[in-house]
Amino acid sequence: MDIPAIRTEHLTRRFGELVAVEDVNLEVASGQFFGFLGPNGAGKSTTIKMLTGLLAPTSGTMQILGIDFEQQPVDVKRQIGVVPEGMALFGRLTGAEYLNFVGRMYGLDRETAAKRAGELLEFMQLADQPKKLVTDYSHGMQKKLALAAAVIHGPKILFLDEPFEGVDAIAAGTLKSMLQRMIARGATIFLTSHVLEIVERLCSHVAIIHKGRLVAQGSLEELRAGVEAQAASGDGDQLAPGKKLTLEEIFLHTVGGVRSAEQELSWLG
Amino acid sequence: MAGMNAAQVRDQLKAIALVRWEIFLHSLQTTRGTLELFSRIVIGAVITSGGLGGAALVGGFAWYFVSHDSPELLALLLWPVFMFWQFFPVMATAFAETLDTSNLLRFPLNYRSYVLVRVVYGALDPATLLGSLWLIAIALGVGIGAPRLFLWTVIVLALFGLFNLLLTQMVFAWVERWLAQRRTREIFAVLFFLGMISLQLIGPMMSRFRPRSASGLVRVGGEVNIAQRLLPPGLAAHSIASMVHGRIGASLLTFAFVGVYALVILRFLSVRLRAQYRGENLSEVTKSELVRHGEGVRAGWDVRGVSAPIMAVFEKEFHYLSRSGPMLLTLITPIIMLVVFGIGQGRPGTGFLQNKPDFAFPVGAAYTLLLLTNLVYNNFGADGGGIQFFLVSPAKFREIVVGKNLTHMAVLAGEMVLVWIGVSLLFRRPSLAMTATTIAGILFAAPLNLAVGNLLSLYAPKKIAFETFGRQRASQVTVLTSFGVQLIVFALGAAVFMLGRYYRDLWISAGLFLALAAVSFGIYFVVLGRVDGVAQRRREILTSELCKA
Repeated sequence: MDIPAIRTEHLTRRFGELVAVEDVNLEVASGQFFGFLGPNGAGKSTTIKMLTGLLAPTSGTMQILGIDFEQQPVDVKRQIGVVPEGMALFGRLTGAEYLNFVGRMYGLDRETAAKRAGELLEFMQLADQPKKLVTDYSHGMQKKLALAAAVIHGPKILFLDEPFEGVDAIAAGTLKSMLQRMIARGATIFLTSHVLEIVERLCSHVAIIHKGRLVAQGSLEELRAGVEAQAASGDGDQLAPGKKLTLEEIFLHTVGGVRSAEQELSWLG
Repeated sequence: MAGMNAAQVRDQLKAIALVRWEIFLHSLQTTRGTLELFSRIVIGAVITSGGLGGAALVGGFAWYFVSHDSPELLALLLWPVFMFWQFFPVMATAFAETLDTSNLLRFPLNYRSYVLVRVVYGALDPATLLGSLWLIAIALGVGIGAPRLFLWTVIVLALFGLFNLLLTQMVFAWVERWLAQRRTREIFAVLFFLGMISLQLIGPMMSRFRPRSASGLVRVGGEVNIAQRLLPPGLAAHSIASMVHGRIGASLLTFAFVGVYALVILRFLSVRLRAQYRGENLSEVTKSELVRHGEGVRAGWDVRGVSAPIMAVFEKEFHYLSRSGPMLLTLITPIIMLVVFGIGQGRPGTGFLQNKPDFAFPVGAAYTLLLLTNLVYNNFGADGGGIQFFLVSPAKFREIVVGKNLTHMAVLAGEMVLVWIGVSLLFRRPSLAMTATTIAGILFAAPLNLAVGNLLSLYAPKKIAFETFGRQRASQVTVLTSFGVQLIVFALGAAVFMLGRYYRDLWISAGLFLALAAVSFGIYFVVLGRVDGVAQRRREILTSELCKA
């Protein structure tokens, strides 16, 4: 049996009284393009922070490619690439210097780091202004640079926290093209996003977290079948007959996000 | 804004005060917040005691001048108050209270309330509090010496205080404007630095070029006196003195001139605040560069035997230093200061270093280390959000810290060589024993500072925002700890030096320093061994503090 790329057991994180993530058992197979969804404050960022070593779990275990994260964090970090929420850039370096720096921090020799940095800058269309500091980059350019930095060492798993947030269509196209190439070469991608259309188009498998608990997990077809079965049994909302559910509809049915009009604020013009 | 009545405006101001209070209370819920408060109380007590001493002094002098019929000499008190009020916030930004008023712009706050909030919160710094305290003391001194003048003095000094308050606000409002963009920031940093050096040069220049005869002194004094009487401190003093002599017209006129100065300053301040109120957004956009295809990426630095992550951090730190005008200028200050002190050397007996040139090298080296602590005590401050990369990368934290510390040591070594050359040219070549003792002393002091700095960088990190360089407040825990460490290092260093002088053999001091250095290196390596664990435990604090927007 193949070792899963990501596996968590009873993963829990508390902030004082607040339980941000509770008893999450997640399994992502190697080579999957995995979307991790949830409403605001559901625990997505907390989970991805734990999976990348930015946050310690309160309890539970995490295994990345079969390696226990808490026991061997350095071994895990060598295998993964991360674009965290804040992008983790060093503003007063140029794009080339930054990529060079990241490559060497991941243990690449100086020639390899420089060669890959040059190739990535070209691919991401960032090579035009070699002396421009990262702090002077636009938001989209910074996203592209952050993704370039996350892949420079050829990670087996890529964690992306909201990679398409604030990115224009052209930059988003470049990012998607890069991610699809990685999947084609056998890498695993774990991403969180609020843009459900993009997740639906890119991801083969999805998990939904709600109020800190994992409420759904599987391929898109499996999730769709689950919602339909629930509706048929009378547990969930009724569905329009013969219509194929979109990811957005699956999501809304799963987290119960539809608010009735009567509940809305009556004083609002 | 139209539509907000007086009661609503009052409610807005109350809400702002309440939210500040709640932020303060919430900050106490963490250990770090409590430590910050404790440090602030200790530092506040030190400043307050100094302030009260100063108040007694200026109050006493004010009483003396008025009761001995020399009220014109009040200018001698108002000028230092003015200088302190304006320059202390620039020199000691660690104690300044900051409030980002841009967040308030989305609310329907009228312009007057916006200005009020800005000025009131801007006034919550030691310079304004102490300046006001000293003006009250002067008014009391004058009131005791000449009770009938008390009310007029209060009025004049209140206007003078308002002028000072507005001037400080105006200067910082414009400074913030210039600091908002990287290019103007760099230019401003250089001008600021040159200005500070020019101020430092006043003393040595006066020492070198002061008039040799009494008549020359009187002439220069007279010219200075005329000039100072045209400026607010002199005008305020003149207004009070004129009232003492019954020249009511002259008193009112000079008072009016102080008012004119205040209005002009208010006008300049208003230009800035109006722009901020309208919601200006100063972007960092720079001119685009020519496309240079085919230009490969240069390989990183390499030193045989040093691991790739350490070298990568070392190279990155050098890039950062070379691109931060303020930091770079801070680091070359020791060299400039030596030149400044060296200028006065034409006159033996004019200063400590002229009398004891042997000490120029250790003093220069100690000053260099002291300035370097700005970097060492907040290692990750300039990295900001980059800290997340350090945490997700496979590099060990101790390697990252060693890379940073190597940069610090390289800068320190380079500066010490320059200081040694400067001392040799400006004073005299330090003896071999003094050179060895100084190097041994630095070998003791530097690792200790690095060890404490590495821990403080993890326990009390503070994001450095380059665009608000002039108005940043360092962590109060760091400020207090830094005082403590420097006190211990200085006391031990002085004791070891004195021992060598007592036995007339500096090599004894060098030996003792080396022994202390061994202990100091031991402490450094013990701390280094624990850095990974501390960083892991404090990763949430590090990311939340350094990734702040």
